[in-house]
Amino acid sequence: MHDRHDPGPPAEEHDTPAEVDAAFRTLRRVALGHVAVFTGVLAAVPLLTGALAWWSQGRLFGGMSPMFAMTAFGLYAFFFTVCLAAATLSNAVEERMLGGPGRDAPRGDGPPAA
Amino acid sequence: MSNGSLPLAGVIALLWGAMYLVTQVLAAPPLGTGTTVLIGAGLTTALVVGYPSALRGPRSKGRTRSAPARLQQGRHGTTIAAVGRSMPLRSGLTADGARRTAQLLQPLLSGAAVAITDRERVLAFAGPGAGHHRSGDAAAPPTAGALSRGKTVLVRRGGELGCPAPECPLRTAVIAPLTDGKRTVGTLQVFRCDGALTPRGVVEGLAGILSLHLELAELNRRQRLAVDAKLDALRAQINPHFLFNTLNTIASKAHTDPEETRQLLVRLSDFFRYVVRQEGHFAKFGQEYFFVRTYVSLEQARYGERVRVRYDIDPQVLTARVPVLIIQPLVENAIKHGLTDKVEGGTVTLKARVDPLTRTTSIRVADDGAGIPADVLERISNGERRPGDGQGLSNIAGRLASLYGERYRLDIRSSEDGGTVVDLQTPLG
Amino acid sequence: MSSGLLLVVLLAAVGAVAVLIRPQRASTLDFYLAGRRVGVATNACAICGDYLSAASFMGVAAAVYASGLDGMWYAAGFAAGFVPVLLFVAAPLRRFGEFSIPDFLGKRLGSDGARLTSVAVVQLVILAYLVPQAVASGIIWELAVGRGLGGLPAYTTGVLLSTAAVMLMVALGGMRGTTWTQAVQFLLLLAIFLWLVAVIAASGFSYPDALRELSSRPLANPVDDGGAWRLEPVPNRLDPGAPAFFGEPGGQYGQLEQGALIVSLAMGTAGLPHIMNRYFTSPTGTAARMTTVWVVGLAGLFYVLAGLLGIAARSIVQDASADTPWVDRLTTGGVLRVPEHAMPVLGEVFGGPAGLGAVAVGALLAVLSTIGGLLLASAASWGHDIYERYLNPRATQRQALRAGRGAVVLVAALSAALALAVPPESLSGQFPSIVATMVTWAFVLAGSALTPVFILAIWWRRTTGPGAVAGMATGTAVAVAMGAAGLLLGDAGAAQALLTPTLVSAPCAAAAAVAVSLATRPPKDVDGMWTRMHGTAADRRAVRLARLTMAGLGRRSREHRDGGRR
Repeated sequence: MHDRHDPGPPAEEHDTPAEVDAAFRTLRRVALGHVAVFTGVLAAVPLLTGALAWWSQGRLFGGMSPMFAMTAFGLYAFFFTVCLAAATLSNAVEERMLGGPGRDAPRGDGPPAA
Repeated sequence: MSNGSLPLAGVIALLWGAMYLVTQVLAAPPLGTGTTVLIGAGLTTALVVGYPSALRGPRSKGRTRSAPARLQQGRHGTTIAAVGRSMPLRSGLTADGARRTAQLLQPLLSGAAVAITDRERVLAFAGPGAGHHRSGDAAAPPTAGALSRGKTVLVRRGGELGCPAPECPLRTAVIAPLTDGKRTVGTLQVFRCDGALTPRGVVEGLAGILSLHLELAELNRRQRLAVDAKLDALRAQINPHFLFNTLNTIASKAHTDPEETRQLLVRLSDFFRYVVRQEGHFAKFGQEYFFVRTYVSLEQARYGERVRVRYDIDPQVLTARVPVLIIQPLVENAIKHGLTDKVEGGTVTLKARVDPLTRTTSIRVADDGAGIPADVLERISNGERRPGDGQGLSNIAGRLASLYGERYRLDIRSSEDGGTVVDLQTPLG
Repeated sequence: MSSGLLLVVLLAAVGAVAVLIRPQRASTLDFYLAGRRVGVATNACAICGDYLSAASFMGVAAAVYASGLDGMWYAAGFAAGFVPVLLFVAAPLRRFGEFSIPDFLGKRLGSDGARLTSVAVVQLVILAYLVPQAVASGIIWELAVGRGLGGLPAYTTGVLLSTAAVMLMVALGGMRGTTWTQAVQFLLLLAIFLWLVAVIAASGFSYPDALRELSSRPLANPVDDGGAWRLEPVPNRLDPGAPAFFGEPGGQYGQLEQGALIVSLAMGTAGLPHIMNRYFTSPTGTAARMTTVWVVGLAGLFYVLAGLLGIAARSIVQDASADTPWVDRLTTGGVLRVPEHAMPVLGEVFGGPAGLGAVAVGALLAVLSTIGGLLLASAASWGHDIYERYLNPRATQRQALRAGRGAVVLVAALSAALALAVPPESLSGQFPSIVATMVTWAFVLAGSALTPVFILAIWWRRTTGPGAVAGMATGTAVAVAMGAAGLLLGDAGAAQALLTPTLVSAPCAAAAAVAVSLATRPPKDVDGMWTRMHGTAADRRAVRLARLTMAGLGRRSREHRDGGRR
C-alpha cells in the first residue's frame, strides 16, 4: 500500500450548529412532504375500492383491473419515483445548505464555475 | 417564467392523454365521465401545485439560455409591424443587430437593397449588389451629407453612389439618418436598381422606428450602468470596520484556538471571494445563502453567544434567482442595528419561501433587537440617507427598483424594543 | 434422486463462491476507487440480499397464489418499508456512524438503559425473523429431497440441517456477510426469477388471459376437514356473503386488516437490525440515501416478478395437476394444500429436476443469506454491545468475537427448536402463507418498538434515554399483547388486524417515548450530536480525502509510467 502521508485536506470542513439546524429543518420539510404523498397514494389504492367500483371491477388488459395493475406494478414504480425524488432533493438541499461551493476546485482567476 | 409553463402544459396534456387511454380505451367498462373528469382535475391540481418543487429541485444546473433568442429570430414577419415588434436593434447599433434588421427589411421593399451604416462604415448590406457591398466597407459618399445635416438625402444617379465596381446594379438611393435620441449615429440606406426612387416617406418611417429602438437601447444601457454603479458601490463599500473587527477576532484566537482560527480564515476568504467574483445582478438563492452563512459565522466568532441566528428555508427556494448582495446587507443591518446594541444579544431569523401560485420569492429578515425609532423609520422609508446608516436600505431599494421596476415589495416594520422585520418579495424567475 | 444430486452440486458451487470471495472491509477509499455508482449498486444488491428472505422468495408468490390480489400486499408492504427508511433514517444513521442499533441509541441518548433495552428488542426481532427462515428451509427440504435422514421426518431434517449449516458457518468465521457475497446471492435470486418468468412467457402462457380465466369463478382453497381435504370457497371479507375472486380485493382482508398489514410492513423495515447495520457500511450519508433508492428499484423489480409467478402458479398448477401425478398428490381440486409449494412446483414443471433444484437453491440462498445477516447482527449486539461494554470491557477482539459466536449458536438453536414446534401444515388452512405471516411478526416487533424510537431520536432534539426505554417497552408490550390476543381469537373477525398491530402499537410507543422524554432531562450536547448526525462535514472531508488520494495515486502512477519509459 502507499503511505498515507498526505498533507491533509487544505481546509477542514466544518458546520456550525445554526447551519445544521437550518438544513435539518429543511430536510424535515422534504421528508414530511414526501411521506404525505407516499401515505396518500398507498392509502388511496385500497380505499378507492369502496368509492369507485370501476377501480376493482374494470378490466384493463385481459383480466386485470386498474387496482390489480396498480398493486402489481404501479406501486413499485411509484415507490421508486418517490424515493428518487426525495433522495435527489435531499442531497441537493444538503449540498446547497452545508459547506461551500467546492473549495478544492482549481482556483484560477477565470470566470466562476457557475 | 414562460419557459417553465410550456413543459407544464405539455405534462398536463400528457396526463390527460394517459387518463383517457387508461380509463376510456383500455378499460373494458370505461369509467364514467364525471368521475374521470374529477380525477383528472385532482391530478392536474396536484401537478400544478407540486410542479415548482419538481422543477426547482435538484436540476437547473445546466443553462437554458439561447432558447428565447432563437424564438425571436424565427418570428420573421413580412410586415412593418413585425419589424417594430422584433426589435433587433434593442441592444444598440451593432453589426449583428444591423444584419438582422437589414435582412428583415429587405423583403419589405420590393427588389431594393438595404444597407445600414454607422457614422463611417457599412454595418450590414442585404439585397442586389451584396456581392461587392460588404459590411465593413466605407459608407457611400452621400452618407456624410445625411449624417452631418441629420436629414434624408436622395441620390438619383448611380454615379453619385461612388461604387468602384462597374457591374454594380444600384441606381438610386434614399439615405435616412438614424438617431438615438440626441445624436445621429448612422444611416438607413435603401437602394433601387430600376432608376425609380423608393418613396421617401417609407424610408423615413422605417428609420424613425429604428431610431426609436436605438433610443430605447441607449436608455437601457444607461439604466444598466446606473445599477452596475450601485452594485459596484456596494461591493466597494464592504465595511472596512467589519474587516478590521474580524481580523482582530481572528488574531485574538490565534494562540488559544488554532483550529478555529483556521476555520475563520477560510470563511473570511470565502466571504471576500464571493464579493469579488460575483458577476451579474442575480444569483441562485443557495449562493447568496452561503454568503450570508459565511458572514454570520464571522460575526458569531466576534460576538459569541450574543448573536444567534435561525434559518428557515424552503427546499424550493434554494434554486430561485435572487438579486445579489441584497440579503446579506439586510442581515448585517439586523445584527448591527438590532442586536449589538442590546447587552443580551438576540436572534436574527432569515426566512425564505417560494409561493408557486403567485410565483414570488419572499424573504424575511427579522430580529428581536432594539428596533428602529419611529422617526428614523420614516426617514428610511422616505429614502433619505445619512452617514452612519451603513448598508443603506436606500441602496437596496434603488437597485431592486431598477431590476424589477414596480414588481417587487420591500416592507419594513419595527417597534422600539420589539425588533425589526424586513419583508422582501421579488418575482420568481 | 438426480434432483437431489443437482441440489448438492449447486450448493457446493455457491459455497465455493462464498469461500473464494474472501471477506474484506470496504473503506471509503476502496469505494471511491471502485467508482461511486458501482459502490452504491453493490451495496444496494447486498441490502437486497439481506432483506429478501424466504418470505420474499417463496412467501410472496405463495400469498399471491393463495389469495390473489390481497396476497400482493405483502410484497407491496415489504417494498414500501424502504421509503420511510430513505426519508427518515438512512443518511442520519450513517452519519452518526456507530456500529449497531443499540450503539446508536446508547450514544445518541447517552443512556445505558436505552442501549440494553434495545439489545433485548433487537434479539427479539432477530429471533422472530429467524424462525420463519428455519420453517422455510424445512419446507424446501421436504419438497426437494422428500425424505428425512436418520429416521427423522423430512421437515425436521431440513430445519436441523439448515441450522447446522449456519452454525458451521459461524464456527468457521465465514459469516461476516461481506457486501460482495450478499450482492451475488441477490443477483442469483433475481436471475432465477427472471428465468422462470421468461420460460413461462415463452411457453405461450399469457398473464392477462390467465388472470381473466382465474377471476371468472369464485376463489376456492383447500381446507383440512378432519383429515380429509376439500375445496371450500373463500368468503369475501369486504362484502360478507359474496364470494371472493382472485383478481379482486377481499380474498384475504377487510379494509382494516389491510391497512394494519401495510402499516406493519412499511414501518418494520426501519427497525430491522440486519438491514440497518448494512447502512453503516455506506461510505457517506449521501451514498446511503442513493443506495436506498437502488434498493427500492431492485426490490420492486423482484416483487413484480414474484407476483407474476404467483399468478402463473395458480393457473399452471391447476392444469398440471390433471396430468402430472406428483403434482396431483400435493393438490386438492387443482389447488396446492401448502401455498409455499407454488414456486418449487413451477420450477419442476418448467425446468424438470434442474428447475426444482434451481428454485430450491434459490430459496436456500435466500434463507442462508438472511440468516447470515441476522446472526451477524445478533453476534454484533451480544459481542459488541453487551460483552465488550459491560461484561469484559478490556476484552480483546478475539474474545469479543468468541462471545458473539457463542451467543449466536444459542440463538440459532433456539430458533430451530421453535421452528420444529410449528409444523407448516397445521397452519396452512388459517393463513395464506405461513412463512410470510411469521416474518410479519418480526416486522411488527421492529416497527412497534424500534422504528418510532429511532425516528424520534433522529428528528426530535428532546428525546431522552428514559423516553426511549419507555417507548420500546410500550411498543413491545402492546404489540405482543395484541398479537397474543389475535392468536387466541383464532379466525374471528378482528383477529387478523390484531396480528399486525403496528397501527396501534407504534403510536403508543411514540406517545410513551414523548411523554417520558418531556418529563426527563435531555442528554448533554445535543447540538454536537445534531452536527454529527445531520451535518455533512465528515462526509465532505471523507469525499475530499478520497479525491485527493485518488489524484495522488493517479499522479504517482503517471510518474511511474513516465519513469518506466525513461
